[in-house]
Amino acid sequence: MLKYPSIFYFLRGWWGDGVPIPMGDGGSIKDLELIASRIRKHVLNMYLKDQSLHLGSSLSSVEILAIIMFKYLRRSSDPIDRDWLILSKGHAAPALYAALAEAGLINSGELEKINDISSILQGHPEILIPGVDMSTGSLGQGLSFGIGVAMGIKSRGGSGKVYVVMGDGEQDEGEVWEAITHAAARKLDNLIVVVDDNGFQLDGSTDDIKPKHHLPYIWRVLGWRVIMCDGHSIKSLDRAMSEAIQSKMPTAIFAKTVRGKGVSEIENTKIQKPGVEVVKRAILNA
Amino acid sequence: MRDTMGRVLASLGEIDRDIVVITADVGDSTRASYFRDKFPDRYFNVGISEQHMVNFAAGLAATGMKPIVAGFAMFMMRAWEQIRNTTARMNLNVKFIATHSGFSDSIDGSSHQALEDISLMRVIPNVRVVVPADSYEIMRSLPPLILREKGPVYYRIGRDYSPPITRDVGEEFRLGRATVLKDGEDIAIIGAGVVLWSALEASRELERIGISAAVINMSSIKPIDEETIEKYARKTGAIITIEEHSIYGGLGSAVAETIVRRYPIPMRMLGATSFGRTARTQEELIEYFGLGKSSVVRAVLEVVRIDRRS
Repeated sequence: MLKYPSIFYFLRGWWGDGVPIPMGDGGSIKDLELIASRIRKHVLNMYLKDQSLHLGSSLSSVEILAIIMFKYLRRSSDPIDRDWLILSKGHAAPALYAALAEAGLINSGELEKINDISSILQGHPEILIPGVDMSTGSLGQGLSFGIGVAMGIKSRGGSGKVYVVMGDGEQDEGEVWEAITHAAARKLDNLIVVVDDNGFQLDGSTDDIKPKHHLPYIWRVLGWRVIMCDGHSIKSLDRAMSEAIQSKMPTAIFAKTVRGKGVSEIENTKIQKPGVEVVKRAILNA
Repeated sequence: MRDTMGRVLASLGEIDRDIVVITADVGDSTRASYFRDKFPDRYFNVGISEQHMVNFAAGLAATGMKPIVAGFAMFMMRAWEQIRNTTARMNLNVKFIATHSGFSDSIDGSSHQALEDISLMRVIPNVRVVVPADSYEIMRSLPPLILREKGPVYYRIGRDYSPPITRDVGEEFRLGRATVLKDGEDIAIIGAGVVLWSALEASRELERIGISAAVINMSSIKPIDEETIEKYARKTGAIITIEEHSIYGGLGSAVAETIVRRYPIPMRMLGATSFGRTARTQEELIEYFGLGKSSVVRAVLEVVRIDRRS
């Protein structure tokens, strides 16, 4: 320990953060779990229609999107008195579209037309799709945009909060560094980032390409409140979210997830394209 | 140029409270500092982070603010993909004021001399490109662009050198409309930025040898004034373009795109074909890279000769 005093200090501070906050509405956890499972089924069904979509990284985001959209996000047409959801890891668009369909913002019949030339559902989110707050697809850009929105809300005296869902692989982008440091300097307490920490990036496991274990520590030393949770447990996510909302600093939730969650054959692998039969089985089990 | 721009920006801040200014640690050099001194709460220095600066501004615009991003043209290009994928794709109301373009940052050399930015910005859907000729045109064009024009605009200026090119122009600035600085019959010189001064000087010299050259200020490069280009193509039968920018993809290319479609005639493009270099003054570099008066005269004589041969 003496050899690494700063790390020790850091870890101590770290665990001191984890003060659990009692959940408000106990019944809703079950409902949210059901919603998440329906979203997962939608994603799997979309995959049956189009095997080019990013299945593994959509499945890891399901619970994260479910809890934000169905418990916390307040929608309205006023840009500063509503909440914003930015899917910075735009390749998880199928999960977002499935959640938007569950929320009734898009027609669920549209889901199976994803990527079709006649469909509004583009390969990556576009603001022409109802409920999409930012056109994304190029990694590393959602956080900067979210900081701009959070700053705009604060400057104009609004009450809105900004939720940015990022990937762990996406953290490689230099712009993320630029953004993290700026949000901390501005003490934006209406900004919550959820990192879908599924341990994979396009070419393989993050450990093989660029290990990411240090990231929560980095965010923290740069001035963010950092909370870790289980990204597939609605209960764990809910605790993290309610803590984040009360934080007086910008907060990042590192949600540990499993890439391909729900399709056992591809779980924790870089595989994005399992066989159709495998997915059909997963739909029955979901 | 930048002094004028800074003053205009600060005065616009009083007219419209939604205007905010964002820089990446070049507030003093770009003269965005004039706005900062008046409205510190509406000024954001994001640190040396151009990519973040651009998307941060996009986020502010999404909440209804009117962000103006001020930076060196060269380093704004570092965020080209951010401008393309976020601001332009969402057609957000962000104005980009790019200073130190062309050879205006003469001392800093090629790393700081943006000679490719018009080309890079012109190709992005929804982005308009404006290159004012001098400080007078900044005063005429910046207020309407910021107060009335919605959506992204790339506004390219230099540093300090600003010969009085449009001092006597009375017309209001309008996007998509060129101004004829000097009429002529034998050839039309179409330019943007401070190098129009070389064109004006050249046209006076050409007059002495009996060649009547029109000089046209195409400050609105996108949208471009196709009518004026066609009109002068028909009238003079030969066109020369001049810009403090690469001849690949800049104003010259934009004019050529119109010419080939509407009225093909001989053309010459004057501009850069390489990186820049260091010199003590911008005027020396303009001369060195073949954009001075004598280069324009030479080019005109060549084109007029080709024209007469054919």
